[in-house]
Amino acid sequence: MSDQAEERVIFAILGAPTLICMLTFSWILSLLLTGIGTLRWELFTLSALRGGMFEMIVGTIYLLLGAAGVAGPIGVLAAIYLVEYAPSGRLTRIIDQAINNLAGVPSIVIGLFGYTFFCRHLGLGVSLAAGWLTLALMMLPIVIRGSEEALRMVPASFKEAALALGATRWKAVSSTTLPAAAPGVVTSVILGIARVAGETAAILFTSCVLITRGLPKSPLEPVMALSYNLFVQIVALGTPAQRVFGIALVLFMIVTLLSLSAILLRIHYRRRQPWLRMKG
Amino acid sequence: MVNETKIDIRNLNVWFGDNHVLKDISFKIRKNAVTAIMGPSGCGKTTLIRAINRMNELIYGCRTSGEIYIDGHNIYDGSINVYELRRKVGMVFQKPNPFPKSIYENVAFGPRIHKTASGRELDEIVERSLREAALWDEVKDRLHDNAFNLSGGQQQRLCIARALAVRPEIILMDEPCSALDPAATAKIEALIRRLSKRYTVIVVTHNLQQAARISDFTAFLYMGKLIEYGDTKSVFENPHNELTEKYITGKFG
Amino acid sequence: METRSFLKGLPKLFMHLKSQLIEFVLFICASFSVVILLLMLLFVIKEGSLAFARLGVQLILGKRWETNSDLYGGFPLMYGSLMVVSGALLISVPLGICTSIFIAEVLPFQLRDPIKSVIELLASIPSVIYGFIGVTFLAPLIASFFGLHSGATALTASLILAIMALPTIVGVSGETISAVPSEYKEAALALGASKWQTIRNVVLPLSKSGMLASVMLGFGRAIGETVAVLMVAGNVAMVPTPPWNYLAPVYPVTAVIAMQMGEAAVGSLEYSALFGLGLILFITTFVVNTIADVIVRRGPVKRGVQL
Repeated sequence: MSDQAEERVIFAILGAPTLICMLTFSWILSLLLTGIGTLRWELFTLSALRGGMFEMIVGTIYLLLGAAGVAGPIGVLAAIYLVEYAPSGRLTRIIDQAINNLAGVPSIVIGLFGYTFFCRHLGLGVSLAAGWLTLALMMLPIVIRGSEEALRMVPASFKEAALALGATRWKAVSSTTLPAAAPGVVTSVILGIARVAGETAAILFTSCVLITRGLPKSPLEPVMALSYNLFVQIVALGTPAQRVFGIALVLFMIVTLLSLSAILLRIHYRRRQPWLRMKG
Repeated sequence: MVNETKIDIRNLNVWFGDNHVLKDISFKIRKNAVTAIMGPSGCGKTTLIRAINRMNELIYGCRTSGEIYIDGHNIYDGSINVYELRRKVGMVFQKPNPFPKSIYENVAFGPRIHKTASGRELDEIVERSLREAALWDEVKDRLHDNAFNLSGGQQQRLCIARALAVRPEIILMDEPCSALDPAATAKIEALIRRLSKRYTVIVVTHNLQQAARISDFTAFLYMGKLIEYGDTKSVFENPHNELTEKYITGKFG
Repeated sequence: METRSFLKGLPKLFMHLKSQLIEFVLFICASFSVVILLLMLLFVIKEGSLAFARLGVQLILGKRWETNSDLYGGFPLMYGSLMVVSGALLISVPLGICTSIFIAEVLPFQLRDPIKSVIELLASIPSVIYGFIGVTFLAPLIASFFGLHSGATALTASLILAIMALPTIVGVSGETISAVPSEYKEAALALGASKWQTIRNVVLPLSKSGMLASVMLGFGRAIGETVAVLMVAGNVAMVPTPPWNYLAPVYPVTAVIAMQMGEAAVGSLEYSALFGLGLILFITTFVVNTIADVIVRRGPVKRGVQL
């Protein structure tokens, strides 16, 4: 049985890296959890001026909501075009390629562009609005791809039934395909938010400052954010780990919560969409 | 002509999850003959032959009970080497599935895996198998061509050659002609008759006329149960079971 | 008579125009990405033009990067980037490919989804948190293990990057492996091949190009990583001596840009040089991603592909 023994050895060798991955994850998790002791409820509501995280948390939320507000609609509409309208040809392939390339642009380059274009050229300055636009650039490919997939999974027969009744293409798509794809679209937006929630490089010089007096009163004011604050405190201020552990933990929890909800939503809606289970 | 039992199936039950696909199947398959397994779609024909080379267990959630004896040994016994079993029991699939490799490499795949031959011996095995599958003359000058350059019927004969290369004793065929045109089908049916002189051949088919044409014995399956089994002439001309009669006369299926 | 038929035709015309308008709006949304990429190229070139004019090729080849002396030779920075990325790939590629094979072919079905989710969660951790872990836990470990003064080294950065690149490699490789049609696997198994023989002789040869693509995408991801490397790489703009000394600090390109943009005066040479570096980064990742896309699009498994 040397063949079977050889196979077992090979599988053990292949399995070791998987084990290492799992162990790495647990290690990271455990490290983060050691800081749980530093968290106190007050930190969430206290102003940063008094050692709390209030403005950072709200600032992060402001940034994320605004970015989603920009990238969401544009992304979904783009996906609809790509799935329902785009003719197959050179132009469509270029658009497709561009989306992939946009996804691959390093975040620092997006930050550079955001600074020179949104902050300076469009005159927004270091502001919440500039942050929205810059982060939206990073969210866009994720929303487009996710929505595309959701739209493609809806059986064409729904739309065709509407068309056969005399509806225009847009009416057919918006009243049948889009609602059916809605859960998938929502999931992709959440995934996009999760991706940019912890983003630092893109907001480094486009929208954030270390400390603000209260919350920004207009989108043209700069904002505080968890990721930015964590970064600057460690790198520029040399704050010891104990003091910033709280920020790291809150950021981690927000991102993990978002990712988990996206995963759970996907599972939940898979059950509610019977046509996904019907495989030709 | 000595016709012994090659395969003895006893109380075979197969479940996929909660789905009870095969219900208490028992019958004996004769050696060096063609046995046809027929029945309407979904009756469990494919599951039955896949039980003989233990390919069902590759599917998640599959459970098997009962025994299948080949030459007196229960193939579901723990001590059986399943890879050796699959060498002895060859399989040809419904849709021809040659590897994306050359014709030569397709046929040589089996012997290479089982380390039974190399070099010139391998060349001989490839030629012998292609001859047995009635494909040699058509491909002998282009053995290193891509297998996908062959027609559908040729590809299926290639798959047969590939199965023959490891010297099986039993050949399982799952609707081997359903993806082929009538001319190719005729060639393969003739091949099956020839092969049965040396091998025990089991053919799943939903084509009644084909079953009647090529098989020595026929089993009729319906909803996972074995309804009737006997030599082909009797089953078709004088069925014992009413269901069999209905199926043969086209009342359903 | 003509007026009436004209008026009758109006609603239809109106609907037609409306459809055209809708399609136009959708098209604009879709081409956003193209427009943005072009704008990006334009503006980064514009801001970097001063540096290209004044420094020329020295921006890439120059061996000294000293802001105080207005010297902007980017060679040590690019060397630092490549060093850190190669270290990361050396670790994560073997690990990642083995893991993807294991998950797709060996792991029992029930465990597949949970483990894939864990890897997905690894991918979702923000880079600043990886940096935080690197600074707080990994760097001190490396420092004490090798007896160094500081744990901010190329090695530390490579390790952190390896963890960050892993999910990309596992994900893309895994997709390629799953894309191998099951009919080939069934044929091999029916011939009596063992699971490993099937993987080795059928699955892997057909997945080669997909794995190559995953490595390229991993490279693209790693070379663009900013915050995590910045926090642990040491940020000293010098090629280490000897050049393969991973225990020395390095200053990757992304880290330089992030660190110095805050202080660079708008319009100064420093400002422009940073944009110049940004342009090089942009082009590099663009090329790498495009090649990877082409490889994936060609598809590993096409009927008629000779193995």
